[in-house]
Amino acid sequence: MSGPEENVEPAQLAPAAKAELDRAFEDFYRAHLRDVYSYAYYRVGNHHDAEDLTEQAFLQAYRHFDRARRESAGRPLRPWLIRIAHNLASNYYRDRSRRPQTPLDSADPIATRHDTEDLVAGREELRQVMANLQHLSDDRREALIMRFALGMDNREIARALGRSDGATKVLIHRAIKQLQEEMEEGDESG
Amino acid sequence: MSPAEQQGESTWDVEALLSDALRPIDPPERLSGRIEDTFTALSAAAATELSDWAEELTDSEMRALRDPRNWVRPVVAVGVGGVATGALVLFELRRRGRHEANGLKGLASGVRDRF
Repeated sequence: MSGPEENVEPAQLAPAAKAELDRAFEDFYRAHLRDVYSYAYYRVGNHHDAEDLTEQAFLQAYRHFDRARRESAGRPLRPWLIRIAHNLASNYYRDRSRRPQTPLDSADPIATRHDTEDLVAGREELRQVMANLQHLSDDRREALIMRFALGMDNREIARALGRSDGATKVLIHRAIKQLQEEMEEGDESG
Repeated sequence: MSPAEQQGESTWDVEALLSDALRPIDPPERLSGRIEDTFTALSAAAATELSDWAEELTDSEMRALRDPRNWVRPVVAVGVGGVATGALVLFELRRRGRHEANGLKGLASGVRDRF
């Protein structure tokens, strides 16, 4: 009898069980592709590596999906998936000993819908906030990416980062405060 | 200096800026196709692996039968069985021989007794 901690590779499952697993994973994949891709893109800063990272994250998730479902006890699996992407992104930096050289494709925010006047002023502000985001520590930046790009709540972020809810709340608060200070400093110096 | 700045409040709504700057990004179409192709290939590979495994099992059995190294045990078994059977036959013959010899001796002594 297989215990809850035992991982069974999808290929080892009986055909009916595998078909059910594949269907469930397909739904899961479709629901979270954008999340993983967004997270990967904001972590590595370019589309090419973000695609590789996204593919790797889903491949790894597929291998352990059956066990994750059994152990989640009905809880959402998104934090688990983002944690996989998070670990892969950390390995990406460690293996290649690099960080994004031109953060987020030259820190150019994705086109937004503004009035023409707002567009000029707004884009500069966005560029500034993106540049300052790179000055944050890894954990602060990741927490903000999860919060704002993926819309994750504190509990989800805590699970993805392997921290307590309280520690995560403090982490996000400090990250926002640091960004605010940097924006103000930029104002004063500029 | 604005009233907000005089009160020490930030003029920057960083959360609003972050919401605007860190918007979700749609993956390129090619990525969905690429990942789906990978999973299709994985499923196909798993199915092929299963059928190959079943075929390999038969092939391996056939190979095992053809391999002379696997003939040693049956040959030894036949040899041991043959020796044991031979010994039994020999033992039986000797027993019968003794019995027949005893019979001749008994007959001879009976004849001598009569004469």
